[in-house]
Amino acid sequence: MISIHEFVIRARVEQHAVETWIAAGWLVPPQTDPEPLFSDVDLARAQLIRDLREDLGVNDEGVAVILHLLDQMHGLRGSMQGLLAEIRGTRTNR
Amino acid sequence: MSEDPYAVLGVKSDAPQDEIRKAYRALAKKLHPDLNPGDRQAEEKFKQVSAAYDLVGDADKRGRYDRGEIDASGNERPRERYYRDFQEPGAETHSYSNNEGYADFMDEDVLREMFSRRGGARFRARGQDTLYRLPVDFLEAVNGATKRITMPDGGTLDVVIPAGTKDKQVLRLRGKGGPGLGGGPAGDALVEVEVQPHRFFTRDGDDIRVELPISLPEAVLGAKLDVPTPTGSVRMTVPKGANTGTVLRLKGKGARRSDKSHGDEYVTLKVVLPERPDPELEEFAQRWQAGKDQNPRQHLEA
Repeated sequence: MISIHEFVIRARVEQHAVETWIAAGWLVPPQTDPEPLFSDVDLARAQLIRDLREDLGVNDEGVAVILHLLDQMHGLRGSMQGLLAEIRGTRTNR
Repeated sequence: MSEDPYAVLGVKSDAPQDEIRKAYRALAKKLHPDLNPGDRQAEEKFKQVSAAYDLVGDADKRGRYDRGEIDASGNERPRERYYRDFQEPGAETHSYSNNEGYADFMDEDVLREMFSRRGGARFRARGQDTLYRLPVDFLEAVNGATKRITMPDGGTLDVVIPAGTKDKQVLRLRGKGGPGLGGGPAGDALVEVEVQPHRFFTRDGDDIRVELPISLPEAVLGAKLDVPTPTGSVRMTVPKGANTGTVLRLKGKGARRSDKSHGDEYVTLKVVLPERPDPELEEFAQRWQAGKDQNPRQHLEA
């Protein structure tokens, strides 16, 4: 688990930005009380949000849309991978 | 990296700072690994582009590069793992990705079957409802019956048709539909009842209607007649002077209602003359003055 101090350094973002992102639901750290503790996934996601806002010029509304679509896409990719594994399994069973 | 950062970004070496930023953004939008989770080459290209931008995207650093004080090597941006790397199979589970993207596919039989065969470690969903159409005889619908449906998989389903079932009514058999996925509950079987027409009964809500032909003497003199009802015939009194269109009610002989009471049967009388001409009747009609004076079409006159 990563503390908020380590998190802001590694993600290269301001602490208040991280707090805003948690409030917006963009980041859902495994623990928020009393102090947030972050996982590696949260860190990678924060870096993505930072890239979107700072490097790609996406505004906050755009970030929310992109995250929502990305989350769906990863769900789809996961299902597709499951499906492919299933098909492979069916083939080898024959 | 030793390539010319201007070439990597696709701009001239004297391009204004603004143009460099635009060029970088355009490339980054296309190449950011998290926006291209399936493209393994995107990461390498994105690395080059962002390294180039780190070098010349900043006016000070760009000046030092242009004057030859720093070169393009060793300038890769330090980067931890990309977000997409956490989405691969076997990656630790987390709460971000969701299944909304394919919720609507679950209606597809082929996917449903696939997912259900997975043993359900990841997917848990209620089974699909299956829809059947079931033709039911008129009297079976009124009186109730048990019908057997053969399902597509060869199994059978016994459907209890409650007394008083109406045409197009849908009976829900809980848990008799498609199997659930991953331990989810089975769907329901929805059976739409198609009540077949009857030779002489018709249905009007909970009431039954029937047309009863009577002879001329029965109409003129009155009679006690056997009338068919859905539960068998009953004896009914036709009053003296009954006519075509006279409606008599048999209380409680209609279909059962949901509160267990019953509708009524309405019997509409229809006076029928003998099929073959009868001399005696003709002679009677010839001399029947009151009959000749009657004008049954009075209400049609303008």
